[in-house]
Amino acid sequence: MKLRARFQILVLLLFALPSAEGASSDGPSRTGDDLFVKANTEFAAGNFKAAIADYQAVIGSGEWSANLFYDLGNAYFRHGDFGRAILNYDRALRLDRHHPEADANLRIARDQTRSLELAPSALERYLNFGTANFFAVVAAIFFWLTIILLMLRPGQAWWMAAGIFLTVICGFAAYKSENGTRGQGLAIVIAENTEARVATVDSARSVLALPAGSEVLILQERGDWNYAALPNDQRGWIAADAVEKVRL
Amino acid sequence: MLMDRRVLILALIAIVQMQSAFADSPKITAVLTSSDVVVGEMVQLQIQIDNAGMSVRPPSEIDVPGLQIRYTGESTQMTWKNFSKSSSITYNYTILPEKPGGYRIPPQSIRVGKDNLQTPELTLRVADSPKAAASGGSNRAPSSNTQAGEEKIAFAELLVPKKTAYVGEMIPVVVKVGFNSRTRVAEMAPPQVNGQGFTVQKLGEGERNLENIDGRSYVVFNYKTAISAARVGNFQIGPVEQKANVLVPRRSSGTRRKPFDPFSEDPFSDPFFALPFGGLMEQHEINVKSDPVPLEVKALPAGAPPTFSGAVGSFSMTAEANPKRVQVGDPITIKTAISGRGNFDRMNAPELSDERGWHKYPPSSNFKQDDDVGISGTKTFELVVSPNEKLTRVPSLAFSYFDPVKEKYVTLQSEAVPLIVEGNAPATPAIAGATPGASPAPTSGGPQKAQDILHQINERGKIVSSFTPFYARKEFWLAQLLPLTFALGLMGWKVQNVRASNRAALRAAQLQHEKDELLRKLRRDQLAPREYFSDASRVVQLKTALKQMNVEPATVDAETAARVFDLNAEQSEQMRRLFATSDEFRYSGAGNGESALSSDGRRETLELIESLS
Repeated sequence: MKLRARFQILVLLLFALPSAEGASSDGPSRTGDDLFVKANTEFAAGNFKAAIADYQAVIGSGEWSANLFYDLGNAYFRHGDFGRAILNYDRALRLDRHHPEADANLRIARDQTRSLELAPSALERYLNFGTANFFAVVAAIFFWLTIILLMLRPGQAWWMAAGIFLTVICGFAAYKSENGTRGQGLAIVIAENTEARVATVDSARSVLALPAGSEVLILQERGDWNYAALPNDQRGWIAADAVEKVRL
Repeated sequence: MLMDRRVLILALIAIVQMQSAFADSPKITAVLTSSDVVVGEMVQLQIQIDNAGMSVRPPSEIDVPGLQIRYTGESTQMTWKNFSKSSSITYNYTILPEKPGGYRIPPQSIRVGKDNLQTPELTLRVADSPKAAASGGSNRAPSSNTQAGEEKIAFAELLVPKKTAYVGEMIPVVVKVGFNSRTRVAEMAPPQVNGQGFTVQKLGEGERNLENIDGRSYVVFNYKTAISAARVGNFQIGPVEQKANVLVPRRSSGTRRKPFDPFSEDPFSDPFFALPFGGLMEQHEINVKSDPVPLEVKALPAGAPPTFSGAVGSFSMTAEANPKRVQVGDPITIKTAISGRGNFDRMNAPELSDERGWHKYPPSSNFKQDDDVGISGTKTFELVVSPNEKLTRVPSLAFSYFDPVKEKYVTLQSEAVPLIVEGNAPATPAIAGATPGASPAPTSGGPQKAQDILHQINERGKIVSSFTPFYARKEFWLAQLLPLTFALGLMGWKVQNVRASNRAALRAAQLQHEKDELLRKLRRDQLAPREYFSDASRVVQLKTALKQMNVEPATVDAETAARVFDLNAEQSEQMRRLFATSDEFRYSGAGNGESALSSDGRRETLELIESLS
């Protein structure tokens, strides 16, 4: 009886882990709150440049939130910097993938710039229902359940095979989510008139002209240039200062 | 076999002799570097004689009214191929047309040894160019040298075919740098074309020729490049400057010369030059300069068409668009190729003649040059457009350039491409890259709407400190310690259980073994009564303990056995008698005789024991 109670506690703990995503702290610091309020006031007064500076100061303090990046995106949008607006809307959605305002404004900003998006693969579209975190936690649960089943019922080969299969599938899904078009390499073009080129010189042949706000997937960083997968299924070199990764 | 080899060797000898026979007969060819020129544009005539031998007399003058033809020198080439030597001499002439029209350069008779060879008749068409004709004269810059003493060692020459040009027009230029063949060039940097108000294309690799100029043999390096005037005015092209380290044969010790002045006297008057490689060489650093060439640069005339972006030259255009059936907002790639001769570096992509209903993306371009200097070639533009509404055709593309020969602007137009656009503005944003090779699509199509972003949010929301995925953080892996601890505990519990079950199995095996041994003894029917009843009661105890594993055999009595084996009253009574008799024999010591135990009694007892299961 005691054993069963312990097992239930363990499962509850494991399922409770995803809700702890983001390493939540106790709450925003007073300084961050003040700066955030000040930035919002500047924004309301139409001082978008000052608002951007204040929002950036809050980000510099390390206390991030989806709303903070969303508001910063709005400030950049009003300032006319659509590339950085799209970048910050993307960051807001990275922290809260169901942020409705960030999603709506991102569409508007992309319409404005006619930016290009990376085409996700069929597998990525299928796995879009979960995040890398979700798949990682589910993989861990399947792994431990399989181990425990192996100990309690050594003869249940089919159950064990199913458990191992689900663990591998969820692990692979986590890997694909992390390394796909929405993964750690995703970057946004922030500069105007950016061109992806075949070599790391400004005079090299252009592969694709990228409007501000376009998505690229950074594959390799080499000095002042980044090698990236482009929205037209090609690859090219982009000046490092023309793009910024979504993940900070 | 031997015969075959002889035939093969003879055949080889015959082939070699035939080759040498063919190689011996001189051949003559004559070519013009261009058969269509404008007045004032220079063209070269090259007369080449293969297998000429030594006694050749080229025509010193070629007289064609309306053309200035000048002999500029000769070059000799010798090659060894398949053990046979071949040589060729090329005589170079420059032709400067003075008047427009069609000219025929008559066959030239050249005596080669005993043969008298004739060049073919050549035709040259000269287009009208009044201003160029008015400038007249030769555009060839005179050869010159920087120092009086160097004139016999090296020279530099700048050949500019025009004296007037338009802003942005590309002018081909040849830089010639020659070194006396008796010297050796130890080190040489590429020549530099000095001057202001124009840009110079990168000089290619110098083409090396041997030329005879004024009776002296020179190794001449020809560098091809092009210049482009950047602004209006009168400019000086050049001088061309060439620095080089040259090895000059050292004088003999008997000849006096000024110290540190290798050019104070003619170095080639030294008798040592009869054996230039037999003596030692000395190195001299020389700096050769050509004379500058004047160039008048004119402004482009007014009235440039709106699609003119600075291209000057002569071009043609082709265009194609794909795909031809799309949805509203889908991308269409228009590939345009502009070929010809001119300033491709200032060329922009052609423009859509009607941009209404279209969204344009920045074009990409690629240039493939056909010559060494990049004046001639094909520039390909990829322009991606997407229809914002239902349209029936891709509009024509317009490209304008200024033709310096015709002295007017020319506008090229492609044909409109029929197109089928289906559907309305897409409800969801199109994703780029759906069509491999095509340029990307916009995120949404349809006509532009004035959309405004949503409001600011004044609450900060849940605070996080990292974008790092959860599984890449230490908290995730620390959390795995909980199920790991549980699994380890479970494993320990399982091991204990296994050990316990092993002990029980061992005990059962021992009891079984003892029971079997005692039963064998009882069946032999040779035991004394005391031993017999003792062993019989022990077998009952063992069987009871085997059936009920938690019972110790020594504690089993008749009642326990009856209960465990669920015996009836008669069997229970038998069992009690058995245990009582056994106790009696064990504790009283009486009945130690055969008479106390009948064979029937033994059989009944054995049956009772064996019936227990």
